[in-house]
Amino acid sequence: MSPRPPTLREKRRYILARIEPAGTMLDQKELYYAISDATTSLWGDATTAIITPAVVALESGHVVIRCRRGTERELAIALSTVTACREVRICLRIIAASGTIESLRERFRPKKSPKSDIETTTAGNGAEEEPVLPEYSFAKKTFLIVQCHGQKVDVIEKGFKNANRLFLTKEDLEDLNATTISDRI
Amino acid sequence: MKITDAAVYPYPIGDASVRRLALEAAALGFDSIVAADAPSATYGGVAVRPGYMIRDVPVKDVISAVKRSKDSGRVISVNAGNNSFNRAVIGIKGVHILRGIQSADKTAFDHVAAKMAADNRVAVDIDLSLIITGRSVARQRAIHRYMDILVLEQRFEFPITLSTHACSVLDMRGVRDITGLCSLLGMDIPDVERALASVGTVMTPPEPTVRVIE
Repeated sequence: MSPRPPTLREKRRYILARIEPAGTMLDQKELYYAISDATTSLWGDATTAIITPAVVALESGHVVIRCRRGTERELAIALSTVTACREVRICLRIIAASGTIESLRERFRPKKSPKSDIETTTAGNGAEEEPVLPEYSFAKKTFLIVQCHGQKVDVIEKGFKNANRLFLTKEDLEDLNATTISDRI
Repeated sequence: MKITDAAVYPYPIGDASVRRLALEAAALGFDSIVAADAPSATYGGVAVRPGYMIRDVPVKDVISAVKRSKDSGRVISVNAGNNSFNRAVIGIKGVHILRGIQSADKTAFDHVAAKMAADNRVAVDIDLSLIITGRSVARQRAIHRYMDILVLEQRFEFPITLSTHACSVLDMRGVRDITGLCSLLGMDIPDVERALASVGTVMTPPEPTVRVIE
């Protein structure tokens, strides 16, 4: 079967969204199910069939979602109701919509010379080792920094599996390390 | 006009600090947030208004709580109850927002309460977390109740506030997302803009209708 000529193909649009919290590892298929579930729940089967949502790329903490042209608004509203993917709490922040995937890729391609706040050590063979995570204590508990971007710092309690993240700022961490620790951060 | 999220819950109720919520709010297009039990401050260009949520108490206790918080600059909101409770609360000077109307009885907020809210400049809150996280019947009921409230708002023009009730940065939504979610309730862009600016409106004392010029 020969492919349809471009003029007969249905027109599509692509929405770029950032996945929060940063560093969350997701499976493309599971994310598709989460988005499809949110869309169906909000708009119903008939409208979801018209929107035809599909996850076409998942890389660098960003996701590209395809939809039919003219249904971007409906999909965007549905995306704002996505709260979890396989019991992992997430949030999708829409960045842009475009007619091609390539133009969206340019927006999230990693730029050169990113300086991370978390120290990383490199082994002799050039392979990257586990990053050295700084520790902070608060209310007699030790926290590890799991993500640091600008002023924003995500910490997680040390020694517990699947412990919840705390979303703080660098200024908060300074407070945590102060001699007089306030109850309110 | 300040674009305000009318309720967020920082640490220890939520999992984010006030500063982080303010930073996130700035990135999402807000000018201010109402944070429960947080001190008044400005972080990253976002004004944090202290919020005081009163819930599950009789009218007498609401009156005393409001008296205690007088002139503190806090945004005082009361959880809705039955019709007589709501009318009494709306009549109390110093109450700014009536919350949780979607969970109250169907007759809890009628045209008389709507007229009183308009006269006393008490806002009715629309909790968007139910639309964001709710599914099926729970969300349908919330949408139906809010549409009902908005019919009264169109008629009596009492203030409406919009809140995400975010306990985490992940629960917060941008102004554009909120506009989209409110379109499900039949609100257009000017309605949403007015609602987002309503916290400033209810916190500003009304100008007297009669002014004495000496």
